[in-house]
Amino acid sequence: MRIVVGIKWVPNTQAVRFDPKTGTLIRAGVPSIVNPHDFPAIELALRLKDMYGGEVIAVTMAPPSATQGLEHVLGMGVDKGILLTDRKFAGADTLATSYVIAKGIEKISKEIGPVDVAIFGHETIDSSTAHIGAQVASWLGWPYVYYARDAKLVEDGKLRVTRQTEKAVEEYEVNLPAVVATAIKALKPRPVRLSYKLRAKIEKPIIAWNIEDLGLDPRCTGLKGSPTVVANITWMPEVPRKKIVYTPKDPRDAARWILKQLFSDESVAGFLKKALWGEE
Amino acid sequence: MKVNCEKLCPDWPCEQPDEFKDIWVVMETDEHGISEASLQMLTPAKKIQSKKPEEKIVAVLIGYNIKQYAEIPIKHGADKVIVVDDERLKTYYPRVYGQVIVDLAKKYKPAVILVSATMKGREMGPYIANTLRTGITADCTDFDVDEKTGDVLMIRPPFAAIMLAYIKTPFRRPQMGTARPNVFPVPPYDESRTGEIIEEKLETIMDPGMQLVNYVPVKKEEVLIEKAEIIVSVGKGIGSMDGVKLAEKLASLLGGVVAGSRKAVDAGFVDPERQVGQTGKSVKPVLYFAIGISGAAQHMLGVREAGRIVAINIDPEAPIFKQSDYGVVGDYRPILEALIEELQQLKEKGPEAIEELLKE
Ligand SMILES: Cc1cc2nc3c(=O)[nH]c(=O)nc-3n(C[C@H](O)[C@H](O)[C@H](O)COP(=O)(O)OP(=O)(O)OC[C@H]3O[C@@H](n4cnc5c(N)ncnc54)[C@H](O)[C@@H]3O)c2cc1C
Ligand SMILES: Nc1ncnc2c1ncn2[C@@H]1O[C@H](COP(=O)(O)O)[C@@H](O)[C@H]1O
Repeated sequence: MRIVVGIKWVPNTQAVRFDPKTGTLIRAGVPSIVNPHDFPAIELALRLKDMYGGEVIAVTMAPPSATQGLEHVLGMGVDKGILLTDRKFAGADTLATSYVIAKGIEKISKEIGPVDVAIFGHETIDSSTAHIGAQVASWLGWPYVYYARDAKLVEDGKLRVTRQTEKAVEEYEVNLPAVVATAIKALKPRPVRLSYKLRAKIEKPIIAWNIEDLGLDPRCTGLKGSPTVVANITWMPEVPRKKIVYTPKDPRDAARWILKQLFSDESVAGFLKKALWGEE
Repeated sequence: MKVNCEKLCPDWPCEQPDEFKDIWVVMETDEHGISEASLQMLTPAKKIQSKKPEEKIVAVLIGYNIKQYAEIPIKHGADKVIVVDDERLKTYYPRVYGQVIVDLAKKYKPAVILVSATMKGREMGPYIANTLRTGITADCTDFDVDEKTGDVLMIRPPFAAIMLAYIKTPFRRPQMGTARPNVFPVPPYDESRTGEIIEEKLETIMDPGMQLVNYVPVKKEEVLIEKAEIIVSVGKGIGSMDGVKLAEKLASLLGGVVAGSRKAVDAGFVDPERQVGQTGKSVKPVLYFAIGISGAAQHMLGVREAGRIVAINIDPEAPIFKQSDYGVVGDYRPILEALIEELQQLKEKGPEAIEELLKE
């Protein structure tokens, strides 16, 4: 099987600080990481390879600094990394991003060998749209299953994908090639291994493709190829709250204070009475 | 605005925004009828309509045996309903349902399509948008209209929940956006409303490329947090499962449920599906207790619709106190114990005891 897995090198949002004076995010000095929600996708790809052989190719559309992210996943056992990179890809929304990724997958199929499955993560921590999987499926005309928790091949060459929705555990048999996106924390990723890292250092299996390599029209990529534009950015409006803060003498005092507030607050008092004693 | 198609990606159809009109809302159904989450999307549709009165609100209802529900969106504010009721739509597949909506959109040319960001909506929405070669904005918290251009503004918190980005789709149509369940209320039911119901027939149907081979409903005994009216939410400060038990005790006394912050989920104190916040769920209880929760913006995004917030936190500087109604500074453990005891006593004494309490 040839499996492509889409990854993104993202700023560690947990470490991003905010400058209240300028109203901007302080990204400087913020370390980047492989998007945490991509690890279940990588793990699923590697498990499929463990079971059925073949190769796993990680793909990312990003500036060259994302090479570090590709190196990290090579250390987990991914075979090749492909960096889709060009200044003309900058400023892309999800439509333009998925377009470049889909074209990258087509090129892999033509030049490296046919891709059977493309796997994406649940969402990214920096934009969290969960669009890319569905959009790549749309560009390629492949079936799409989101929220996957596991997958295996079944007899007639189909991929049996398990997922859980709000209501049920569902299993699908999906024709290949297909796009699958994993659910949050669906699979526990394997650790990075030194031997893989060394192999990657020697073999250097990272290829970069730019807009010419992919043969794309610059009107279809980056900012130009993005139907959505950010018109404005503002502060999030505050929700009006009472903001009454009380430092109690002791726990009993605290408890009685809370109850007094709630029972003298019309918007909740009736509700609490109903909860305690049934209909008022 | 006149779009110069020469400048657009040649993969996209050449269309002018003014050829498109009306606001569509995609209706999701299950064995109980139309989902509440999709009816909620009629609220932003009405907001957009209030600024663009020439646009009609059109509910798009597709599936099998669903014609019977066609009046419901009208009673909640839709002007029209387009129904596709076909046995071949018995099982939902993203590509099949998506393609039906794509084909309808190509025929009717709606200016806006709103989709609820349920699991199905998150799977199908971007597929529809991409197949129409248009943009889509995920998880909007509000919608508005740009007064100069008439473009819809899709408003969402980017990156961290401190800022809001206003996103528009100036030269493509339809303009698509999703919002998470419970970000908006369902518009009130109005028996007197009437509207047109248009039935569309399917000629061909897309090959799903996949087959549902197994379906095991998961039984959920507990009330979902998105439906709960009282929530006792715990944070990392709860410290242990013993603390969670206290929270559960309080919740059950009040007929509520327990939820948590992301750190509480990461620590294993609560199930991931009970996480409140930007990457969890939005909730709208009458009363929300935040126990040992610091009040990070990403968490608070999920409780914007909560009626009242009671916070208990040991740190007087915790940001939660600036974002709640009633805050108590102190170690949560003895306070919850006392609160549970007081409530039990009140319960035994009956409603008359409240007067006494308030007189103190
Ligand atoms: C992109 C992104 C998305 C995110 N999405 C979410 C989300 O959906 N939901 C979410 O919740 N978070 C989310 N977060 C994480 C968020 O930023 C915070 O890290 C998280 O909400 C903090 O959880 P907490 O309040 O439980 O923990 P902490 O911030 O560690 O706070 C613990 C609190 O407990 C108090 N405490 C400790 N001991 C006691 C005691 N004995 N009694 C009383 N109080 C005590 C402390 O004073 C402190 O205020 C997201 C972050 C990012 C970057
Ligand atoms: N620039 C990118 N390059 C490759 N894959 C990506 C990129 N952005 C997102 N993805 C993949 O798409 C998934 C969903 O991302 P998003 O739509 O940004 O939430 C991620 O988990 C990744 O697997």
